Amino acid sequence: MPSSGTLTIVSSKDRSEDLVSSPVVAARHPWRWVGVVAVLVLAAQFVHGLVTNPGWDWPTFARYFTAQSILTAVGTTILLTVLGTVIGFALGIVVAILRMSRSPFLSAVGWTYIWAFRSIPLIVQLLFWFNISYLYQRLSLGVPFGPEFVSFETVELISPMGAAVLGLALHQAAYAAEIVRSGVISVDPGQLEAAAALGIPKGRQFRRIVLPQAMRAILPNAANEVISLFKGTSVVSVMAIGELFYQVQVIYGRNARVVALLMVATVWYIILTTLLSVGQHYVERYFARGDRR
Amino acid sequence: MIEVLGVHKSFGTLEVLRGVSLEVEAGEVVVVLGPSGSGKSTLLRTINHLEKVDRGFIAVDGELIGYRRRGGKLYELKERDVLKQRRNIGFVFQNFNLFPHLTALENVAEVADLAEARRFLDRVGLADKENAYPRQLSGGQQQRVAIARALATHPKVVLFDEPTSALDPELVGEVLDVLRDLARSGTTMVVVTHEIGFAREVADRIVFIDQGAIVEEGTPGEVLDHPVHERTRAFLSKVL
Repeated sequence: MPSSGTLTIVSSKDRSEDLVSSPVVAARHPWRWVGVVAVLVLAAQFVHGLVTNPGWDWPTFARYFTAQSILTAVGTTILLTVLGTVIGFALGIVVAILRMSRSPFLSAVGWTYIWAFRSIPLIVQLLFWFNISYLYQRLSLGVPFGPEFVSFETVELISPMGAAVLGLALHQAAYAAEIVRSGVISVDPGQLEAAAALGIPKGRQFRRIVLPQAMRAILPNAANEVISLFKGTSVVSVMAIGELFYQVQVIYGRNARVVALLMVATVWYIILTTLLSVGQHYVERYFARGDRR
Repeated sequence: MIEVLGVHKSFGTLEVLRGVSLEVEAGEVVVVLGPSGSGKSTLLRTINHLEKVDRGFIAVDGELIGYRRRGGKLYELKERDVLKQRRNIGFVFQNFNLFPHLTALENVAEVADLAEARRFLDRVGLADKENAYPRQLSGGQQQRVAIARALATHPKVVLFDEPTSALDPELVGEVLDVLRDLARSGTTMVVVTHEIGFAREVADRIVFIDQGAIVEEGTPGEVLDHPVHERTRAFLSKVL
């Protein structure tokens, strides 16, 4: 038992000079090395298989990876992602503002939108838009229940591509709205109070004070959404739109080189997701600028 | 310059202000003292309409805050008009509430043009810190930026809500120096604080508030050295 007032890390046998001059041996972790070796062996096996297994069919992969039809399809996939993201987040901000409105009616409108579009599976929604002309043959502008000024054939107005963008954007907006809202409520209420005390107009408060700070919380989630949308565009292959996944299906339907063509799509998805992740890093760094010490 | 008349305010069932009336003359420095929970911060926040009052009225420079009187009726002002009124009322928070994503200069320039924002930063002695972000500044420096920002709308009165309570003791002095300077230059100020020494030195008038009502008021000499009311004496004996 240590006697009160004295420190007894040094027992009577050891003198403190010995303690100071003793060399320190770091703790050893042999199981970590076992884990490293196991993973390395598995990885080597996998790489060996990639190279030696003829089933991967790398010559076919190489032939199609940069084929014009594939590049065009990659372009379509990027276009769908960009339009889905831009329209989705623009609409999402509006829905988030509605949802956070102090008016119970507007708040309910926002809530209902999110509820509806999160409830319907994307693929079901896409097929609805694709087949909208069964429901409404003509769309027209005019007085409700009164005369029409202009009217369009629905089939002409909503092309398959239009239906795809519409479906992706509306779906995305519901998720974007919740992400934006989570960002906004993460901002310290004192910030709004300070802005209000300074008499900064409401719109400017949101743009200049709330949104830049909310971005800190919004960005990681938004990047997740964009990446998930980017790969999710493969869903629109059900509407026979020539995006990346549809295009490789068409090609392997013809030549039966399924694995090689799936790898073409996979590698493109990986490359573009990597670019998005790098972009995310820089955008996040920009919005973290007040965090520097 | 400030007229507070019979103001009542409750949060739920808790009555925080029970009929407070207070007048502040142009150029006057009023220090509000009182135990925590006495309603002094709430009183300050009703003056710039951060808290809506349940009963009573507040006017700054003859303008009713939060309402417009027309034809014998009071119309509640829209948010936009309240925001305009607030430009006449500077407010300095206990926790500074600087915008963390903006530099010191940008914080002030949010409500003034750049040249003017620089002038205000210079006035609080932080001209050399204009490009620093709030997190790179000490608490005292942050509060000084917040004061510069509050002055940048050219308010007719400035309200200070415990401006030194969140500061380390050695940083209190630099903020009080700025307040002293403002007081000397004739700024109309209402300061909620626990700094009795500062109150004695700078205040034209001290108001002691307890349980949502003004207990007594007078010059620092009267209230601090010869308090009339028992509750004032009890409070002062704890803080002096």
